[in-house]
Amino acid sequence: MLFNSLEYIIFLPLVFLGYWFFFNKKLKAQNLFLVIVSYFFYGFWDWRFLFLILASTIVDFFVGQRIYSSTTHRKKKIWLWFSVLFNIGLLGFFKYYNFFIDSWIDLISIFGYELRSTWTLKIILPVGVSFYTFQTMSYSFDIYHKKIKPTRDFISFATFVSFFPQLVAGPIERASNLLPQILNKRTFRYNQAVDGLKLIVWGFFKKLVIADALAPIVDDIFTNYTQYSSGTLMTGVFFFAFQIYGDFSGYSDIAIGTAKLFGIELSPNFKFPYFSRNIAEFWRRWHISLSRWFRDYLYIPLGGSKVSTWISTRNVFIIFLVSGFWHGANWTFIVWGAIHALMFLPLFLTNNNRNHLSTTIAEKTILPSVREFFQVITTFILVTFSWIFFRAESLTHAWKYLKAIFINDNILGYNNPFGYRMIDYYVIIVLFVIYEYCIRKDERAPFNFKSRYVRFLIYAILLLAILLFYDDQIDRSFIYFQF
Amino acid sequence: MKKLLKKSILYGFLLIISLEILVRVFYLGKDNPTRYLDQYEVEKWKPNQQGFSVTGNRRQNFSEYKINSSGFNSYREFTPTKDKVEIAIVGDSFIEGFHQDYFNSIGKKVEGLLPETEAYEYGYAGYDMADQLHLIYKYKEQFDAIDHVVIYIRFSDDLMRNTYTIVKDRLALESPINKALKKSKLLVYTKSIGVFTPIKQLISKIRGFVKGKTPKKKTSRLNEVNQEKDNEYIDNFKSLTSTYGYDKNRFVLLLDAKTTSPIFISYLKENHFDYIDFSEAFETSDQATTLIYDQHWNNHGRDIIATLISNYLRDK
Repeated sequence: MLFNSLEYIIFLPLVFLGYWFFFNKKLKAQNLFLVIVSYFFYGFWDWRFLFLILASTIVDFFVGQRIYSSTTHRKKKIWLWFSVLFNIGLLGFFKYYNFFIDSWIDLISIFGYELRSTWTLKIILPVGVSFYTFQTMSYSFDIYHKKIKPTRDFISFATFVSFFPQLVAGPIERASNLLPQILNKRTFRYNQAVDGLKLIVWGFFKKLVIADALAPIVDDIFTNYTQYSSGTLMTGVFFFAFQIYGDFSGYSDIAIGTAKLFGIELSPNFKFPYFSRNIAEFWRRWHISLSRWFRDYLYIPLGGSKVSTWISTRNVFIIFLVSGFWHGANWTFIVWGAIHALMFLPLFLTNNNRNHLSTTIAEKTILPSVREFFQVITTFILVTFSWIFFRAESLTHAWKYLKAIFINDNILGYNNPFGYRMIDYYVIIVLFVIYEYCIRKDERAPFNFKSRYVRFLIYAILLLAILLFYDDQIDRSFIYFQF
Repeated sequence: MKKLLKKSILYGFLLIISLEILVRVFYLGKDNPTRYLDQYEVEKWKPNQQGFSVTGNRRQNFSEYKINSSGFNSYREFTPTKDKVEIAIVGDSFIEGFHQDYFNSIGKKVEGLLPETEAYEYGYAGYDMADQLHLIYKYKEQFDAIDHVVIYIRFSDDLMRNTYTIVKDRLALESPINKALKKSKLLVYTKSIGVFTPIKQLISKIRGFVKGKTPKKKTSRLNEVNQEKDNEYIDNFKSLTSTYGYDKNRFVLLLDAKTTSPIFISYLKENHFDYIDFSEAFETSDQATTLIYDQHWNNHGRDIIATLISNYLRDK
């Protein structure tokens, strides 16, 4: 069930009312209800996927207890590896199996051997598998590192794994953050619910107006890149930067807002990443839950930065490459990760990667300084350049697209294939950036204006914008569902 | 909890009011003229209405219409006499022309090309051959005074009936409830941009699920079926022309031969029905001939149609 579908618009109020009116007496009832509706939500795509999530839940529920009860460090480690191998195995089979087979065949063909790709399987990638496997693994890791104790309440654990707002595209929750909330009875708080509703509205705006409006243009430019001018190709990737941000951060806002409606606070996932002043800051603001997951469960166990320069440089590359590969079974994502590693490395080696740790752009002023302005622009250009690899179908496609930016001599302006005025899109992007700049200090309060009249006016304008850019013909699924 | 529900309802209501105001301020929703059935049971627009037609989310096509005293969208009144040269152009929404300014219509263009001629546009969205010939038949006196009658026809959907009957579905749009709903510009606008499409799809999905319907398999007898349909449409054409009359000396069909059945074209030729074919002129045009936001002819397309009509009449 997509957040931006009619089914969800019916589903959410019903579940909300049921949760607070009929199942609010006992914790068990609250959690059982959440598990049932979450499984219904997930099974709406394909009921067969439910077996997979159930298997992951059962395995990690028991493995967690085994890790905790094991008396020796070795046994704990064996159980941890069991959890990791099971979850990575799930991912490997459903997400990467065909990729490895095809890559192996390609490699063999370099040496002159011709193999037919008969081993590849027709596998449907279960929605959200990359997210919930990482979430259940975090549970095992946290028990192993003695950050939490395992729960003996299976329903609560199943709620933690399948909590529908963040099930299919995150934020990837840590057991240490989400589980304690699930293990305690939630009470209705008016302000929390109102904040949740506001985030949902803002998320819908980002998805429906920014991401969905730009998607057909980006698709057209990336598909027919040979016919377009350099300027158009740059517009294509510029639009993609906003499409993917609107799409994913919009999803996260709806997820976080929805969770608030049920009395649960999820971790932040985006903090205005395009206002970052360097790549390191970008990664502290973009898909935060994934970056932190890799930092805590991969980078630090590998030694992090507290080892020799060579080893820590290796660690940086590992974390970026794995992070890229996590996004999809395609070399394009690995190269995308490598590009970010290369852009991050100079900051890391010069010890500048921890600059701007807790400040935002123009922290105490209205406008940014000239220096900050150029830092933000430079970071945005670098990030946008890397999106070419992220968006392209293959490395060849990415390379040809890049080459076309430099060699295409077509000077004709771009005409939207659907006939819409292009100026509309530039205007909406500029207004969006200005608004995000105004609210840059708190991503969880998009309408933090004192005057209720101003707030109301903004709601009305946002709703009007949703109508102005509404398109019932396009595919409205979220980009990150494919990961 | 109750406070949240109360406030949500209040905010929802206020937001709907604000959106209604914004839609009106920016003129995003189209005006809906009133339709009616006249004393001859001819469906047309209520005379003397004026308004704007809007297409697209962001007002991509905006044009003015003006319904004359005869109940058709036109810049002029229809006053045919034997002394003047008049042309009637009869057809559906393509001739009605709500997608163009009423003062820049095909008729106006024809008048520009054929001075001292008056062009009367009898266009009404949804008209088929039965509607058109029934109109001509019922307003015989008026049409007898008109020198040339051009009838626009789309073979694929204009010959599905062999006799005229009142189309109740269209007139149902004038029911009190529909009229009341149309007063909300927000509702008209959201409906026109497809906001209610998912609701309709969901309802039909649920209905299908409840009834246990499965989609029917497509027949492999496609050619046979097409030929059957062609023959049926030709029979309908014969029936309509014999029932309501067809003056071969004054009447001419306007059609796209590329999308018309070759059997029908042969029938027209064999039986000396004149027709103006615009397919070639559209195909060889170096510019687009239809609007971007809908299927109707754009200004260039209308120029071509007007030129073809004028050339035909000049040669006649």
